[in-house]
Amino acid sequence: MRDGTLISFLRSLIARPEFGPFVLLIGEIVAFTMRSPAFLSAGNISNSLAFTPELGMIALGMTLLMISGEFDLSVGSVFGFAPIVMWTFYNAHITSLEVGFLIAMAIAAVTGFVNGWLVTRLKIPSFLVTLGMLLVVRGIALYITSGFPQRTWAANSPLMAIIVGEFSIGELRIHTSLLWFILFAIILGYVLTQSKVGNWIQAAGGNPEAARARGVRVSRTKILLFILTAVLSAYAGVTSSIRVSAANPNSGTQYELEVIAMVVIGGTALTGGRGTIIGTVIGVLILRMMRNGIVLIGVPGLAYNIFIGAIILGMMALHSWLERRHHAGT
Amino acid sequence: MAEELVRMEHINKFFGRVQALNDVTLSVRRNEIVGLLGDNGAGKSTLIKILSGAIRADSGDIYIDGGKVDIRNTTDAIAQGIETIYQDSALVTQLSIARNLFLGREPVKGPRLLDRLDQNAMNEVARRLLKQVGITKEIPPTTPISALSGGERQAVAIARAMHFESNLIILDEPTNNLGVDETKGVLRFVRSARDSGHSCIFIAHNIYHVFQVVDRIVVLRRGKKVADDIDPKQTTIEAVESIITGMTITPP
Repeated sequence: MRDGTLISFLRSLIARPEFGPFVLLIGEIVAFTMRSPAFLSAGNISNSLAFTPELGMIALGMTLLMISGEFDLSVGSVFGFAPIVMWTFYNAHITSLEVGFLIAMAIAAVTGFVNGWLVTRLKIPSFLVTLGMLLVVRGIALYITSGFPQRTWAANSPLMAIIVGEFSIGELRIHTSLLWFILFAIILGYVLTQSKVGNWIQAAGGNPEAARARGVRVSRTKILLFILTAVLSAYAGVTSSIRVSAANPNSGTQYELEVIAMVVIGGTALTGGRGTIIGTVIGVLILRMMRNGIVLIGVPGLAYNIFIGAIILGMMALHSWLERRHHAGT
Repeated sequence: MAEELVRMEHINKFFGRVQALNDVTLSVRRNEIVGLLGDNGAGKSTLIKILSGAIRADSGDIYIDGGKVDIRNTTDAIAQGIETIYQDSALVTQLSIARNLFLGREPVKGPRLLDRLDQNAMNEVARRLLKQVGITKEIPPTTPISALSGGERQAVAIARAMHFESNLIILDEPTNNLGVDETKGVLRFVRSARDSGHSCIFIAHNIYHVFQVVDRIVVLRRGKKVADDIDPKQTTIEAVESIITGMTITPP
């Protein structure tokens, strides 16, 4: 590569919205590794990668939803509720595990549809609609289980190995959920940047009136994204329940805030219109590594939120500064 | 020139007890640029909002190519070939020029399931269109709208109207807030739109701009049409001004 093209390549790299988060991620890895060599050990990486895909899947759906101008606070509740449905059907010998899984996904799709319908047809802000759904879904999960975890150890289905089986590469233990996460990220990245629907998603969040006037089906696009987000959250919840062998009606509490934090740190605008899947993947890694690294270098786990909050504020300041610099004079 | 493209007949519109439009009839012929003039509150904006589907008339009919049509919303208007370009020209600022041009009508290639945008075709057409509307500066079609100036945004909106075969392009105060060069650009786009077979309704406060491009001037005053057939080549700006403000009763 000639010098000129190298420089212009670097310049276009720096201009990308993911560049800021990417630098932060690298900085984080370097800092934690210097303080604690165990950070990059195979055992620690394996542990970090076990849970990351589960939050990451929710974040992928949330990214598209937020780019379209909405967000979903009920993802944590759906995350907890879907495995309850699946395991309850299975434990009560009503259906096989596979059918229970499909029922759980279908119920999640319905909650997503209801969210989307209330937001787009009745024009209620998504904050209120999904806050209500958060309480309703969590309430149902607690009510039907009387607050007790569901048994998960009696099952032995190939579905479990497909969703979250374990295998090793050298010293690394990898769960298949990581592969699913990567696959989902590639598919949704393609949808966002290469497909016609992706153009509609960005237009719906950027200028819904203009989009509607051009014949873009804004409401339908948003409803589909609410459904997608709910189904991904349910799938992540099922994954988690199989991996930790427990379906707890309280699991997923406050995930909505962590996921939204991951998405905005990755450069997606809370107001819609702008965002990338790569940015979100980086945002997911930043927060997960932060949680992991802080414990490793001996900061009390309770101090975790201080760092997360500081990162969010710092990244928002950076994004807003970049935004203003980009559009100076308009 | 004589063929009539759009005809609005006996349009009435009340806002509460205020009559914004009183039995207004307006027609636009093919390849014609009509300048719509009037003081503040004369009813210009109300009239074109009815034509572009933003509001509905209380009574009156709209005919396109001689056939009566029902325009209930902006989508209907666009489907009838009527494109309205406002000051903040209805673009998605986060998206690129090419993605805005084709928004809602994106070309797709490959298997339908993949829903894949034909980005090469979009960029190619966008590049050609930008040249056509007179943007000589080299702007890549992948540039986001937010990076463009006001005049360039107008140009993109006009290019979109021209590409999708809009028969009638309505420009509502297109030269407001624009610099001198950008204004010249917009006036040039309007002429080129006519040359390529489009009709225009041009609304502007600045009569000098109107005089430079239009074929015919229509004047509204207090919701009524007071002049319909003013030829800018055979009249003076002062004469038109006096009609707008009501100093003389009948136009020549």
